[in-house]
Amino acid sequence: MSAHLPVSLAAGLRRAGLPLVLALFAVYPFAAGAYFVDVGFFFGIYALLGLSLNIVLGEVGLYDLGHAGFYAIGAYTTAILNTRFGIPVLLLLPVSALAAGLFAYLVTSPVIHLRGDYLCIVTIGMGEIVRLALINNPFGLTGGPNGVYGIAAPSLGFWVLDSSREHYFLVWIVVGLAILALRRLQRSRIGRAWNCIREDEVAAQATGIDVRRHKLLAFVLGAVLAGVAGNLYAGKLMVVSPESFTFWESCLMFCIVLIGGMGSVPGVVIGAAAISLFPEIFRPFATYRMVVFGLAMILMMMFRPGGFWPRRRGGLEARDLLARLWRRHD
Amino acid sequence: MRVFLEQLINGLTIGSFYGLIALGYSMVYGVLKLINFAHGDFFALGSYLGYTLLVFASAVLTTHLGPWTGMLAAMAVAALSLALVGVLVERAAYRPIYPAGRLPAVVSALGASIIIQNLIMIVWGPRYQAYPASAIPNLRLEVGAFGFTALQLAILGISFALMAGLYFLIQKTTWGAAVRATALDRDTAALMGINFSRVIRFIFTLGPALGALTGVMVGMYYRQISFTMGWSYGLKAFTATILGGIGNIPGAMFGGLILGVVEMLASAYVSTAWKDVFVFLILILVLIFRPTGLFGEKVAEKV
Amino acid sequence: MKKYIALSFLMVLVALSGFAGGATEQGQGPVLIGMQGPITGAWAYEGQMAKQSCEIAAMLINQKGGILGGRQIQIVAEDDAGEPKTGALAATKMTGHKGVAASVSTYGSSICEPASNIYEKAKMVNIGYGVTAVRLTERGLKYFFRTCGRDDSQGLFFAEYVPQKFKARRIAIMHDNTAFGKGLAENTRDALKSLLDAGKVDIVYYDAVTPGEKDFRVPLTKMRETRPEVWYYTGYYAEAALLVTQAREIGITSPFVGGNAAINDEFIKIAGLEVAEGCYMTNEPLPGDLPSAQAAEFLKAYKDKYGEIPSSPWPVYAADAVNVIAHAIDKTGSTDGTVLADYLRDKVDGVQGITGQIGFTGKGDREGVPFYLYVVDGQGRIVISK
Repeated sequence: MSAHLPVSLAAGLRRAGLPLVLALFAVYPFAAGAYFVDVGFFFGIYALLGLSLNIVLGEVGLYDLGHAGFYAIGAYTTAILNTRFGIPVLLLLPVSALAAGLFAYLVTSPVIHLRGDYLCIVTIGMGEIVRLALINNPFGLTGGPNGVYGIAAPSLGFWVLDSSREHYFLVWIVVGLAILALRRLQRSRIGRAWNCIREDEVAAQATGIDVRRHKLLAFVLGAVLAGVAGNLYAGKLMVVSPESFTFWESCLMFCIVLIGGMGSVPGVVIGAAAISLFPEIFRPFATYRMVVFGLAMILMMMFRPGGFWPRRRGGLEARDLLARLWRRHD
Repeated sequence: MRVFLEQLINGLTIGSFYGLIALGYSMVYGVLKLINFAHGDFFALGSYLGYTLLVFASAVLTTHLGPWTGMLAAMAVAALSLALVGVLVERAAYRPIYPAGRLPAVVSALGASIIIQNLIMIVWGPRYQAYPASAIPNLRLEVGAFGFTALQLAILGISFALMAGLYFLIQKTTWGAAVRATALDRDTAALMGINFSRVIRFIFTLGPALGALTGVMVGMYYRQISFTMGWSYGLKAFTATILGGIGNIPGAMFGGLILGVVEMLASAYVSTAWKDVFVFLILILVLIFRPTGLFGEKVAEKV
Repeated sequence: MKKYIALSFLMVLVALSGFAGGATEQGQGPVLIGMQGPITGAWAYEGQMAKQSCEIAAMLINQKGGILGGRQIQIVAEDDAGEPKTGALAATKMTGHKGVAASVSTYGSSICEPASNIYEKAKMVNIGYGVTAVRLTERGLKYFFRTCGRDDSQGLFFAEYVPQKFKARRIAIMHDNTAFGKGLAENTRDALKSLLDAGKVDIVYYDAVTPGEKDFRVPLTKMRETRPEVWYYTGYYAEAALLVTQAREIGITSPFVGGNAAINDEFIKIAGLEVAEGCYMTNEPLPGDLPSAQAAEFLKAYKDKYGEIPSSPWPVYAADAVNVIAHAIDKTGSTDGTVLADYLRDKVDGVQGITGQIGFTGKGDREGVPFYLYVVDGQGRIVISK
């Protein structure tokens, strides 16, 4: 990579890279129309969701295919408390996050000891249970398939954030804060314990790490961040309905983490870009849009299985993979 | 009582579909630890191929050979085609990914699923299709106090025969032993002289073929098919696989049957609207008390 | 390093396409009317028919000389894929599209909800054509209207007409837990309240099936044991076809009445004529049954171009939305949203549309939508039941 450029230039570009990206993010909503700013907003939401799942899947290596459930809890908590009690949306951000976290704690505690794939099916089940419960409108709380509507926009005193640009900046500021927090977490004892568990759970246990507690913590934190995303989503759309929280959404989040790079924070952001922007970019393919998307996923895993931006250089070279393509197994 | 028996048959019919699809899932999963999301779409594709055959050959079948032959022909064509498709998909989409690990394979499987599903939509259209009425046998039977259609009985019969046959295949033959051994411990199996490539080919022909057969049966039984039909059946099949226990291939079959019956009980005696919630709750409870599934072996983890 | 470049490139690409998206000239060119609908996705069937209907309506107006002194109408279509989030994006795109005077939007109440909020903020008139949830017009929005009916009118029709026609006391209501299906079921149940209180009817079964599934024998057997005398299913045609087929197989003989999304040509194709014959449906008038001269003209033009008339009522509501918008623009001489909204709400009067006289209540609802009980006859046609 650096071999292609003179060392000084490479280093210079690298240093300029991050500020350049930040500048682009800041300027974008002023250069693009409202529709594209909205697309940028949803990119931000998916970045948050990807980062939240990354804690569980990327750092600890737990297969979570029901993450949309936590997202839903956050969104609906905001929706219900705002429409019934008039509590301001922004104030509900920590409340929704905590609600999602508490929910995660309660439902994953009894099952956290399950081995990989068994945990996977349980998370799928949890996600579906949340969605189905929302549709069936228990106690008249959730509005059934119509969902909850009439949610207010977030506001700070008299300043109401209801333009596309304001929402865009709100979500990306939250993403920025999340990234800072997650980076610190990655380098902390907890982060290293997580990675240790991912690499070899038994060895981790043997070195004295409380595996159960760490796994539970990962789920709770992942849920908390997903709850934040839910709150921001509710504040933007002003209506939440069960259709936005399906198993397919959980699969998309899963793909974001894997395509971006497990355990890699910048990777996850890129993964979110791929998942939310590419279908828009693929529109010219009309009916073939999704076929191209699926193909892109497979090719992605073939040539960069470590993701766009792997945490550690783990991907195999394309040459080797092609060589193995038609070779027999040994 | 009579109603309960009727409902039981309903539950077992659905359950046998789940079980047959779960079998294909479980074989791939047991051997490769790959959640083959595309498996549900193999089932759907099989159903569509059967439909196409019946539509094009309808004149021949209905006037000369009759609907039963039509059904068997459709099943044969679908099974053979999907056996081929299965091997192709494995080579193209999965084999290159194995070295990268389990999770990239899952994403690849999701990608394959999207591709197949959307190709079905492009080729056959987004509208629902229906198996032609002329291709469906029209016999009603009265057995005691129950009324059944001959088709229903035939399908139940075929499903159970297939399951019994597969049980025998997996448990009692060398092929089956090879698959089970590879699922249990791939390296030792290789050391024992089991050819891994052959096992892969076996599961990727048998599994999708089974799925395709089930697809044709579902098409004949319900008549209506859509390009999204693989999704929910695939999810239920995966649930059945886990319920039965990973690595226990016949267990997936029983898992499917049990799933169908539990679903029936929840729907009939609690509430149809909440039935899936109950099914998942029961699954979670089972796993809490039996963490390796209903029939899963307690395999010691090597340290 | 490469990754920074890749990411920056990506963002520049998207930003550029942001520039590319949307500015058109104003003034003397064509008048733009927007159309938002599910052109792809689960309801592509409906969305595409609606788009085609709007285009036919525009074509007919243009043939007669256009509006505002000869200017032609052009339809700008946005796909919302039948999903709320995409619907919000489509609405944002539409409101950002310079020159669009008003929007015909959309099909599906839960998609219309966020979309209409966005139109409201942008002060753009939006007229729903396939959105029957009552609450859409209970929000006090100024710019939202609908040319179609509401679930409560349909429920009321059922309650007033059906039990009496079939002399039925025991009624089963089944829905599919979607916004539309459940809404209609609840409205029907509410409408039956007076009869329930008087002890004239009993709702013996009230439950939801899961759309997308195929096997309904279990809930149907459960329903059979409650011995209903008439059975109302408020969901969509795919499940309806399966339900009726399986119901007859397990021995349910009571008449089947579908809501207005349950019976159409697809239903007859999937269920087969033998099962479909004798099935009833509560419905607004089907395009073929509309008596007006406009209807005849529209249907002929549509059939000439597409080979058959629309098979559900919603596309013609979309066409009528185009008609009433064009009329409003012509009469007010303006494409300003606020002016149009005021006109539509208070002053539009006696506009003859395809589906009859078009007028709106203070809340934005369509005035006077009739309902009929349809039945499938022996030739597979859907006709008004006598």
